[in-house]
Amino acid sequence: MIRKNLRLPQLIIAGFMLCLFATAHMLGFNMKTLISTSFTKFAMNGVMVLAMIPMLKAGAGLNFGLPIGIISGLVGMCLSIQLRLSGMGGFFCALLFTLPVALFFGFLYALILDHVKGKEDIAAIFIGYSVIPLMDFFWTVAPFTNREMLYPIGGSGLRPKISLENYFGSVLDNLWSFELAGLTIPTGLLLFYSLIALLLFLFFKTRTGEAMEALGQNEDFCYLAGIPVKKIRHLAIILSTLIGGVGIIVYAQSYGFVELYNGPSGFAFPAVSSIIIGGYIGKESGVFQAMLGTYLYQTIYLLSSPIANAVLIPELSEITRMIVTNGIILYAFLQQNRRKHD
Amino acid sequence: MTPFLETKNLSKSFGSTDALSNLNLSIHRGEILGVVGANGSGKTTLMNILFGNSIISETGGYTGEIYIDGEKVEIPSSADAIRLGLGMVHQEFMLIPEMSVEENVTMGKEASSSLFHKKNHALGWLNQTKNQAFCKKTMESLGMDIPPKTPVKFLSITLRQFVEIAREISRNPLRLLLLDEPTAALNYEDSLLLLQTLRELAGRGVSILFCSHRLQEICRICDRVIVLRDGKQVDEYTGQEMRPDRMAKAMIGHTIRTVHKTASSSSGETILQFSDYQVAMPADELRGLNLSVLRGEILGISSLSGGGKSAVGYGLMGMFPSSGRVQFHGEEISSFSATKLMRQGILLLPDDRKQQGILADKSVTDNIVFTAFHAGARFQKRAAGLFFVKDKKAASAYASQMISRLQIKCSSPEQPSGELSGGNQQKVCIARTSAMNPEVLFVYEPTRGVDVEAKEKILELLVRMNKEEQTTIVMISSELDELVRVCDRIAVLCEGTLSAILPPDATEEAFGLAYAGEWTHD
Amino acid sequence: MIKKIWKAEIIVPVLFILIDILCFILSRVSTGFLVEQVSVRFIRNGVLVLSLILPVVAGMGLNFCVTVGAMAAQAAYIISLNHNLYGGPGVLAVFVMTIIFNLIIGFVLGKIMNLVKGKEMVTSIVIGSLSNYLYQLIFIAGYGTILPVHNENIILKNGVGVESMVDLKTYKEFFNSFGSVKVAQIPISIFLIFMVFLLAFGMFYLLHTPFGKQVQVMGYDEKKAQTLGIPIDRYRIYVMIASSVLAGIGQFIYLQNIGTLNTYTEHLNVDTFSCAALLVGGASIRRANVKNAMVGVLIMHTLFVVSSIAGQNLFANTALGEYFRSFVVYGIITFALIMNLRIENKKRMTG
Repeated sequence: MIRKNLRLPQLIIAGFMLCLFATAHMLGFNMKTLISTSFTKFAMNGVMVLAMIPMLKAGAGLNFGLPIGIISGLVGMCLSIQLRLSGMGGFFCALLFTLPVALFFGFLYALILDHVKGKEDIAAIFIGYSVIPLMDFFWTVAPFTNREMLYPIGGSGLRPKISLENYFGSVLDNLWSFELAGLTIPTGLLLFYSLIALLLFLFFKTRTGEAMEALGQNEDFCYLAGIPVKKIRHLAIILSTLIGGVGIIVYAQSYGFVELYNGPSGFAFPAVSSIIIGGYIGKESGVFQAMLGTYLYQTIYLLSSPIANAVLIPELSEITRMIVTNGIILYAFLQQNRRKHD
Repeated sequence: MTPFLETKNLSKSFGSTDALSNLNLSIHRGEILGVVGANGSGKTTLMNILFGNSIISETGGYTGEIYIDGEKVEIPSSADAIRLGLGMVHQEFMLIPEMSVEENVTMGKEASSSLFHKKNHALGWLNQTKNQAFCKKTMESLGMDIPPKTPVKFLSITLRQFVEIAREISRNPLRLLLLDEPTAALNYEDSLLLLQTLRELAGRGVSILFCSHRLQEICRICDRVIVLRDGKQVDEYTGQEMRPDRMAKAMIGHTIRTVHKTASSSSGETILQFSDYQVAMPADELRGLNLSVLRGEILGISSLSGGGKSAVGYGLMGMFPSSGRVQFHGEEISSFSATKLMRQGILLLPDDRKQQGILADKSVTDNIVFTAFHAGARFQKRAAGLFFVKDKKAASAYASQMISRLQIKCSSPEQPSGELSGGNQQKVCIARTSAMNPEVLFVYEPTRGVDVEAKEKILELLVRMNKEEQTTIVMISSELDELVRVCDRIAVLCEGTLSAILPPDATEEAFGLAYAGEWTHD
Repeated sequence: MIKKIWKAEIIVPVLFILIDILCFILSRVSTGFLVEQVSVRFIRNGVLVLSLILPVVAGMGLNFCVTVGAMAAQAAYIISLNHNLYGGPGVLAVFVMTIIFNLIIGFVLGKIMNLVKGKEMVTSIVIGSLSNYLYQLIFIAGYGTILPVHNENIILKNGVGVESMVDLKTYKEFFNSFGSVKVAQIPISIFLIFMVFLLAFGMFYLLHTPFGKQVQVMGYDEKKAQTLGIPIDRYRIYVMIASSVLAGIGQFIYLQNIGTLNTYTEHLNVDTFSCAALLVGGASIRRANVKNAMVGVLIMHTLFVVSSIAGQNLFANTALGEYFRSFVVYGIITFALIMNLRIENKKRMTG
């Protein structure tokens, strides 16, 4: 299965990654730190890439509307911080608060996407873009009272970057983490990520999960076979939104900050790109592909930034990352079309 | 004198099926040549080739040669066809409903003026007055008086048909006009008007290729008629030889009469009743069907393409908007949804197997148990006491049983079903429905794209299902051959309504006339 | 359905005019100020919105690739400055380069769009974004390393990369030397005003030629257009070329009037803003005309001028006005997309 899916894009990306590793080695970077950070980056971004899977499997397109899921996660975290919940409790309460918000937003998102079947991509991009300013209103006027969340001076409403230091920052990263041959292994984070991935994997073994997968392969077939097409599709979109919400919480606890306002806008394209790198072009969009894609994508980003600094053009790392991101997505669109003609 | 257009060994195949084989055809200047044929006879393919329709080049092009004025030509696109002086009236109108009559009629030949270019250049300023006058004149020559600025979407079907015709006859130069069912939307008087216009055109030296299933009309207007069947020319008539009954017979050909079905297992009781049932399926509209399906019978439904046969089942399954009444066991069906009907015991096997009938990437086993697992709550078990998962043992046991019973040829039950041949895919479909044990089964074109041997097997399976499990089967097919072999009754539709219900032993002529909508009780 | 479309064409602009009026009253700015501000912005931005019309009419949807055209114009300015071309010859060089770059860009985009039929809009977004970073790569990392520097003034201190702010005064002065009118203390070259109206008329003219008609047919139904003998692939390339060239000219006009160039940010949001303006003017993603573009630009700029001031007056918070503005931009595009795709999808219903 793996062999079949290692196609040109993966090979190029993997080759590029190896080049970066080699360059980093030559420039004398600490390889151990790099590798251990690469695992953290992998797991902290991984859940958001998993949020692509239900929608892709159900044939509802690439989840460019990831900001919607992220916003539900942000609301959940803000509630948890407002209640001054810290540590594991804070983390799990944030997850708990996210659940109803994600269900609600996901359902609305699903209703809108029903109208744009077949062209979900473009609509989702703009739905994502438009909820961000809408939520900006909310962040500004919402009656949160925890001082650590509000603008310190001037400006009203929540501050753009809330520190999680006193709440649940790094709770997963530090859980059961240990040193191994100089590498720090963030056990809790990796376990939590694996757990989500495993649950998703098992979900697609259930009857509903199988129906969802079949729906993506052939909608007419499923309809004629008596599957409640609309319900399953809604479920997939809600699930994607929910996983997106969980994703940002995992990300935030590792990053140490909750980013509001324009924070959610930057995640969709990298996540889409990651799953494409992982093998969506090869028609597979399973959990394994998402994980592979995330690792390749995040590691490239991680490696390119110290190298860029070394050649004295620090912007280069971000530029390369975004060229790769967009290039991969464009490649996927061109490829999709070619498949259609086969 | 060399004919205006000549084809030599014109052939076209789609995949493994020959749509047209070795057609040698010639049309002289000013001649009206009629082309008749049932479904799949190659009429449409012929027109598509001559008019450079992109579907031909996209599917690998044609073989053979086309000569115009004795010179060999290639027609890779419609633009080239138009340049050669061809025009085509399409059965599905090539009109832009949002645009005005004038814009539609003058399309591609708009008058424009410019300071820098010669007249009628693509970048000249559109000359409204000239275009409107042109449109008015053309419409008047057809006996129609429509204000040129009217948007086409406000026009009736009849008027649209005339706009479609006006656009083509006003081409300059027009040397050959192809007409695909130009009178399907017209009433008697209007079609007379059209025929008269065509005669005038022919009088001016325009050659005309006229496709229609209205045999009377063909006889009235054509100088010569050719009959196509299975992509080959089977007959040709001129003058007095042209008679509807002869043409109908030639169209259908000789049917094989090895009737499989021995005795009807029908109880005579109505199980499904369609009353004034209408379905808005594009290109195959049903305009008011009254038909009862009897419990335990095999009912065939057939029509020429566009006659409405496909709409019957697809409309019922809610794939297209429909109206009218349908009663199942005497109770009115309130919502046309596949999920609900399936629970009541009505199932449909579609004709487009690749697109709708199988999950190509999934294994044979998965396909066979799919419907029963997802909609029929079979082959399932609980995992962790909570979630339903597939009972793989039960599923593969059932699948192997079906594979051996239906003789499905596959390397293993785990082979992706997309890799099977058409016939075996169809068997997988049948196995899939059997697992549900439906009361009524709609089956579309069960033997399309299937080799002869598998064809027999599939028909046999359907008959067996009907006999052993008392499944009422509605078989929707354009293959009259197989319908007469397995059906108890055959309903023939024409132009979206019921044309006749014939017994399987009715004559070829009767079927031919029923297809043309010209069958009457004697 | 016919009525609905017609209504949307009127309702959307009317609704936004009402919002404009409301914001205007709340903002308490003088009419003179508003008129001046809006007319300056109208001249600066009008051509970019015009460049969107043809792809919409051709059925390719909103062309978010106008950013690429805009970037080409910026590149032309920088290249011209780098070769120390100032004044008249500089302007000529910039203009010629803008046109040539965009002919090539339009051709390539047309080719790509023919490969991704049915997914033009989302592809154009990705291409726009990709080009943005390629552009950055060239000007941040290219100059001083691979590309030779002839004009140190525009290069960063360390010798690599173009300054984030480049002065274009020399070109601005050249244009204003033809005579200029002062609007809101900002001199605007008569020559440019003339050019904007000429291009608007040119687009109007193009839509009323046989070519324009056939492009419209293509937009309504591509299959039919092909059967009617319209060379769709070729026409789609023409459409993309025309759109790119216009976008380039649009940015060319805008920059010379501003007089400075924010090398790395000037082109951002050009696409969404222009698309939103066109839609606010009553266009849809299937139909658009010059009137929509012109009306849309006026409404949109009025909104941009007054909404943040209104927000400040009302809530004592400028940010709310900003959020409202970006919500309008993205919201109107989302709304138009959903409404149009819905109508298209209604033709076939399942489930």
